[in-house]
Amino acid sequence: MIKGDLFRSINEAIVAGDKGAAVALATEAVRSGVDLLEVIEKGYVPGLQKVGELWEQGDYFLPELISSAEAMKAAMGVLEPALDRNKIETWTGGKVVIGTVEGDIHDIGKNLVASMLQAGGFEVFDLGADVKLERFVEKAEAVGAGIICLSALLTTTMTNQRRLIGLLRDKGLRDKYKVLVGGAPASRKWADEIGADGYAENAVAAVKLARTMIGQG
Amino acid sequence: MTLPLLALVKTRTVLLDGAMGTELMARGLAQGTAPEAWNVERPDVVKEIHREYFAAGADVVSTNSFGGSALKLAGHGLGDRTYELNLAAARLAREIAPAGRYVAGSMGPTGKFLKPQGEFTEEDFAAAYAEQARGLADGGADVLLIETQYDLREALTAVRGARSASSLPVFVTMTFNSFPRGFFTLMGDTVVRSAAELEKEGVGAVGANCTLNSEQMVGCVRALREATALPIIAQANAGQPVIGPDGRVGYSQGLEDYVRFVPEIVRSGAGFVGGCCGTNPAFIRAMARKLREESS
Repeated sequence: MIKGDLFRSINEAIVAGDKGAAVALATEAVRSGVDLLEVIEKGYVPGLQKVGELWEQGDYFLPELISSAEAMKAAMGVLEPALDRNKIETWTGGKVVIGTVEGDIHDIGKNLVASMLQAGGFEVFDLGADVKLERFVEKAEAVGAGIICLSALLTTTMTNQRRLIGLLRDKGLRDKYKVLVGGAPASRKWADEIGADGYAENAVAAVKLARTMIGQG
Repeated sequence: MTLPLLALVKTRTVLLDGAMGTELMARGLAQGTAPEAWNVERPDVVKEIHREYFAAGADVVSTNSFGGSALKLAGHGLGDRTYELNLAAARLAREIAPAGRYVAGSMGPTGKFLKPQGEFTEEDFAAAYAEQARGLADGGADVLLIETQYDLREALTAVRGARSASSLPVFVTMTFNSFPRGFFTLMGDTVVRSAAELEKEGVGAVGANCTLNSEQMVGCVRALREATALPIIAQANAGQPVIGPDGRVGYSQGLEDYVRFVPEIVRSGAGFVGGCCGTNPAFIRAMARKLREESS
């Protein structure tokens, strides 16, 4: 398959959320010896971007978004072992620790953001829901994360997003991490007010924001 | 004898209640505590809230069991107390309901996904809802209100679960987002498809709640009216949560602005109206006044 066709097919497989095709095309790319970073950047990433656009304009919904993210992740599972080390670093966005803050068991939005971040090239450490604030810091320290993402669905638990920033400050670690907040009651204004580094309204915006944070936006 | 709710709604607009969770928190429910636990631990507080809604003019109060499905309670380690907590929820409301008023057994979403997006089967969901429905029915609920559903498949499964455990009428509200192309759930279910499938499943009433503010709800009720002949339920949010200058959380749509759209919601076809997030007994009192003005 010539390169342009390969990229187009990959693009279509991701937009269709076709995991089988996305993996088969990744396997073919590895076998054919084309530049795999180019395959990711010109085939897979634009596909995922297209999915994000379709979602933001209300043509795609959660099932489509999840299918495409799953297809993307499966394909990356084939491509990444074959990429050489420095090219992996070019592609990956670094490490992200994510979770729903303590007192809050809602995780649909958080799971979606985690999934999209992973599909978007980040190494994601998902701590789950109702996560003690100390756990975020411990995990971020342990894995050497650059970004901490905090989700909250309740107006009563979103205040824990503010508390985490205070906790980082108390530990003298505030400047070490980019703290991003999300969830139904959060807003840009809220993020500014509590001194977070950013707010994203949805999972697609979260990936863009995280890219910006690491200087790849 | 009290008229069944579905008969009452043929004669006039029926007023539901408003938010429960925020009322509990205002009375000291701690972060991370399952609100349903208070049906047993602080029953007087729960009863006081129901009493306030009835006093405000609500014909129907919803039990404190929104997160009371076995799957949701399991997230708090209370899965094995599903029947007990739901039984208590319905009993509390029943005990203080004045003659001629009603109790709706609230059943919110599991917060989980069915396969392939999640790990659960329809049988798992149906069982989780059935256990809840059994408690609510035994506790004396008049109807089961399956609320705030973002996935039509889950809603249909919930209806089947409720049916397997009880012969009470089942009402369903879905939560829709407003898009340029119309109203859709998180999973992409349209108003038309939701209404049609739920009607086929034999529910007594369908509607929309949460997410939309009262102005947006007008359009959603219109869309529902075109889609079904069933009685329609509308319970809008008071806008979006916002942080006030004092750092406290409020909602973007004030009481006056919220109730301004109530007559239009009714005229658009809603037979059951009430509130959702950001509303309280004062909103319901103001809605009762609007409804009286409308009918006089």
